[in-house]
Amino acid sequence: EDILLPAPQNISILSTNMKHFLTWSPVIVQGQTVRYSVEFQGEYEREYANESWIPICECSLITATVCNITEDISATVAYNLRVRADVGARRSEWGTLKGFFNRITTSLTPPLMKVIADGYHLLVELEDMGPAFQFCVLYWKKGQESRMQQKVVKEVSSVVHLDTMEAGPDYCVKAQTYVEAINRSSSFSQTQCVRAQGSTSMWL
Amino acid sequence: SVTEIRSGFTAIKANIQARDTIRTLSILSHPHSLHKVKPLDRCCITHQLFNFYVDKVFKHCKTEDSFVNRKISSIANSFLSVKRKLGQCHEQNKCLCGQESAEKFKQILANYEGLNVTSAAIKSLGELDILLDWIEKS
Repeated sequence: EDILLPAPQNISILSTNMKHFLTWSPVIVQGQTVRYSVEFQGEYEREYANESWIPICECSLITATVCNITEDISATVAYNLRVRADVGARRSEWGTLKGFFNRITTSLTPPLMKVIADGYHLLVELEDMGPAFQFCVLYWKKGQESRMQQKVVKEVSSVVHLDTMEAGPDYCVKAQTYVEAINRSSSFSQTQCVRAQGSTSMWL
Repeated sequence: SVTEIRSGFTAIKANIQARDTIRTLSILSHPHSLHKVKPLDRCCITHQLFNFYVDKVFKHCKTEDSFVNRKISSIANSFLSVKRKLGQCHEQNKCLCGQESAEKFKQILANYEGLNVTSAAIKSLGELDILLDWIEKS
């Protein structure tokens, strides 16, 4: 008797720093390989294209229980996502993500940052997080937080020059990311302080 | 955002423009280019054009190519997102339509309706760079 293949369960999204992954629990069929296929539906498809679904070919008949949907979630609208299972000629119903996914809910982490004292030059190296990311870098002389300065970095080059330091005081730096497409910022990174080299520089 | 629309379109531009066999007519630039639109009318024309693409164009652009269809979906959903924002401006009377923009948009519609719907939709999609260039320059 041909038992109906159960639909994938526990479908959820992992979204961090504008990278979005759909995951689900495996469908267990003893001694057989189960394959999965994923489709998405944007708000446009729901409202203007007869609620049509679009297959993600990189996630068609895959054995993994995760699919990178970043490329297809490329607008700040509500998306529907669904997964189904196949074993041989048997096919399950679609399992659909509960609720919509909008990339505006992605979690944004503070950027990795390295502050460098190159002689009297205050430099910062920022992690390249992709074209969607800008950075807001704050820097100040230790003890003079009220005179904090800001630099917006729209494109990550290797190193960013912040300031020319005086000998003696420590200079502190912290940074956050900003994603224009969703108009949100991460929290700030840990503060890092350095002192001009040639004046007993050290990492503090 | 316009940047994301541009990158989505760049990925399929050659494919879409190759499907456009009517080289003697332009939807967006005939007889006058968008660049002749007065600053006052720009917001309204942009709003009307985003509505035009969402309401009329994208749904007739389905192809046999899964990659192209996915990129069209990305563009369409980005258009929908921008269209919403422009709609809010329109409601707050910040995007008013003058006589000239009405005439301009009527001409674009006439160009569009002068072709069969699939040809018109594919041509309009293929001319997205004209629209994007104009938006970024204004």
